[in-house]
Amino acid sequence: MMKKRSRNTLLLLMLSVMLVLSACGSKGNTTAANTGSNTGSNTGSNTSSGNAPKGGIAVYSVNSDVMTFWDPSDSFSNEIIAMHNMYETLLRYNAQTKTFDKVLAEDYSKSADGLTWTFKLRKGIKFHTGAELSADLVKKSIERTIKRGKGASYIWESVKEINVVDQYTVEFKLKYAEALDNVVSAGYSAFIFDADALDKNGEDWINEGHDVGSGPYTVQKWTKGSDLVLTSYPEYWKGWTPKNFEKVVFKTTPEANTRQQQLEAGEVDITNQLTPEMLKSLDGKPGVQVLKTEAFQNLTLQMNTLKAPFNNPKARQALAYALNYDSIVKDIMGGMAEQSTGYLPKGLWGQDSSLFKYSYNPDKAKELLKEAGVSGGKLSITYLSGDEAERQVAELLKVELAKVGLDLEIKGMTWDAQWDLAKSPDASQRQDLFLLYYWSGYSDPYGYLSIAYKTENPIVYNLGYYSNPKFDSLIDQARKSAGSNRDGATALYKQAQEILINDAPGISIFDLKYGYALRDNFKGFSSNPYYANVVFFYDTYRE
Amino acid sequence: MIRFIIKRLLLGLFVLAGVSVITFTVARVVPSDPAARWVGPRANAEQIAAARIELGLDKPLPQQYITYMKGLFTGDWGTSIRTHQPVLRELLSFLPSSLELILAGMLIAVVIGIPLGVISAVKKDSWIDQLTRTFSVGGVSIPTFWLGLILQLVFFRQLSLFPLGERVSTNTSLLYPIDNWTGFYLLDSLLQGNFDFFKDAALHLVLPALTMAAYPLGLVIRMIRSSMIDVLGEEHIRVLKAYGIPAWRRVFVYGLKNALGPTATSLGLTFAYALTSTFLIEAVFSWPGLGMYASQAILANDYPVTMAITFLVTVTYILINLLVDVVVAMLDPRIKLYQNA
Repeated sequence: MMKKRSRNTLLLLMLSVMLVLSACGSKGNTTAANTGSNTGSNTGSNTSSGNAPKGGIAVYSVNSDVMTFWDPSDSFSNEIIAMHNMYETLLRYNAQTKTFDKVLAEDYSKSADGLTWTFKLRKGIKFHTGAELSADLVKKSIERTIKRGKGASYIWESVKEINVVDQYTVEFKLKYAEALDNVVSAGYSAFIFDADALDKNGEDWINEGHDVGSGPYTVQKWTKGSDLVLTSYPEYWKGWTPKNFEKVVFKTTPEANTRQQQLEAGEVDITNQLTPEMLKSLDGKPGVQVLKTEAFQNLTLQMNTLKAPFNNPKARQALAYALNYDSIVKDIMGGMAEQSTGYLPKGLWGQDSSLFKYSYNPDKAKELLKEAGVSGGKLSITYLSGDEAERQVAELLKVELAKVGLDLEIKGMTWDAQWDLAKSPDASQRQDLFLLYYWSGYSDPYGYLSIAYKTENPIVYNLGYYSNPKFDSLIDQARKSAGSNRDGATALYKQAQEILINDAPGISIFDLKYGYALRDNFKGFSSNPYYANVVFFYDTYRE
Repeated sequence: MIRFIIKRLLLGLFVLAGVSVITFTVARVVPSDPAARWVGPRANAEQIAAARIELGLDKPLPQQYITYMKGLFTGDWGTSIRTHQPVLRELLSFLPSSLELILAGMLIAVVIGIPLGVISAVKKDSWIDQLTRTFSVGGVSIPTFWLGLILQLVFFRQLSLFPLGERVSTNTSLLYPIDNWTGFYLLDSLLQGNFDFFKDAALHLVLPALTMAAYPLGLVIRMIRSSMIDVLGEEHIRVLKAYGIPAWRRVFVYGLKNALGPTATSLGLTFAYALTSTFLIEAVFSWPGLGMYASQAILANDYPVTMAITFLVTVTYILINLLVDVVVAMLDPRIKLYQNA
């Protein structure tokens, strides 16, 4: 009898625990439901004129924290994903028309020598601080960015001085005829903002999660490590329609499986950085759409040109023949890539599809290695640990090199560790091969060609340590004339790439493609490789 | 008792000093220049030199260590190399969410684990014991990452009972916002009488807390079971039976009290360990906690953050060990702390 009672008590206890849990659970439906449009009561914003956005909340699930550095001058990372919704630039590159759309600038012109660029600003544009856009603030924004010297501020290198002509006209005097439209539309460090308010409020203020931009959305709430909520700015200069989203949420979701589930359940409108297998499994599912788009990023194999065997161009060319590009693109990348042609990503001006393309030819590779006098030995390659694609490319290379008697040691390392290794003072200590992705602060051929191959001291990103005065002068010449003669510059860039193809200090293996998965009722999004992973939410709506 | 506590705290200071010297040295001898990382890849030599002075890296290492330790006790825990934010502030913003998760997991482990362990011991070798034992072995050996994904598949995807992840849904945090008092969502929303927020936050806690609970649950069941089997076989329990003390009292009052000691000790260690080892659970459930923060810092060679977290975990270990010893002594009158002192 006693025994029975004690058992009953226990059972009761367990039952009650389970009941509490399931009771909580049954109400879970409300949260699992779509983050739809039932937050209208909290908008708290009413446009003084015209329509108000009534499109509900858009949610973008991102693989890592969107915001780290809030300062629009300094940011040089993921922040652009949100910042291009809070801040604007003078011009914006249009990936469809391959021209520049006028954003804060109403019009612009350049002098015949390409040394003076004049931008006419739109009138009546208000920053979220209430201040009005003026030539003075454009000058202050850019000068502040240059002065701080952080982020991608180097993009302004060609600017000699910025002059305020009148309240709505700003003039750039350049040191050389660079294509300034490329610079003012850059993804990083080209934002125009209320520099006065920023300097007055200080760094701590902005880093708490504030913005001083003129974009369609402004910060409502930021929970570090979790999410960022932007809300529509009632006085946005382009105005609002009921279709526009009232709020935009960026969710930090590190785990790809979780992002996939969020999307399938309709909890988010769009997500990125899913594996090729996930994209394949999502493609064709009801309610989901998969987009494959160009990305201005290529996977590059840098070779240590200061050390045998890759101080010999023949050995480097051999490696270019030893890579099975088709297999890499198809099997490893699951079609989320395309073999590179030359050294510029597809879709960027200056890229030339008539350039010579290496193809997989093991016999030729063997022959070239023989000519280079390489018969055996040990080599090392580093890649970013955790990057499956890079690891598999390295494995593939190991197999190929083993055929010719070379033993390749594969080391997965953190980015900082492999980068530090590549910058070791003693070149013989550095890795022989380095697999990494290249992209540029602003999308200009010069950016891509100089970052990886222009003579550099100290070493930053030229991680094959290539140095060729002829190549350097060609790209410099191209950069300095692109503002006045773009066709001439394109020809020079082609010539420069031909040198690289022949010398092969590094190999552009493939141009990466970005995969987005989105709900099929989420409309108006088109990926723009100039602005990696950015969704311009003002252009989007839900059907 | 007081003497014991003071003695243990002093001993703790030595441990802390040792751990901090080792971490500081290891963090600083790795071939990586924090000053260069601070200013970013494009900086020139002058900028790096300026940053070196700004960060105090130009001083000799022992002096840097002393400055650092002084800062630790005065609330200046340094600045993160990766985010340029004060470490203490960042740490405090991630700590409550981790603690909330760990405490909830521990609570589940204790509430379910103790009765199951007791039943298992009382009904030794019965079917219920076999089942419980299988369950507990599963609990300690199942990879938490995998368990989290499975729970999501079942309870979110198939049954739509619980949300997929995060601490609270965006809708709720916008519609029923709470002020950040302690950083514990459940506590803050309760104190502020915000029951909509509370309900939502509690729902979000269930799956991660269950995942979190798996390991300590298995542990508690096993520990309780084996100690209970020992205790129940002892003579004083049989004497109680002879006195006619009811079975439930024999088991739950006299027996359990004896069995709780070892369980409390190992649970305390699990707690301190969980502070940073939960990053896989945090990743699966998009839970912004200390584990994620620590793993990001380690990957970025962010030594002030790595130092601070090591420090925090060490302090937690010391305090919890002490607390457990005190609790065990209170449970078991045979243990006399002051005799050790």
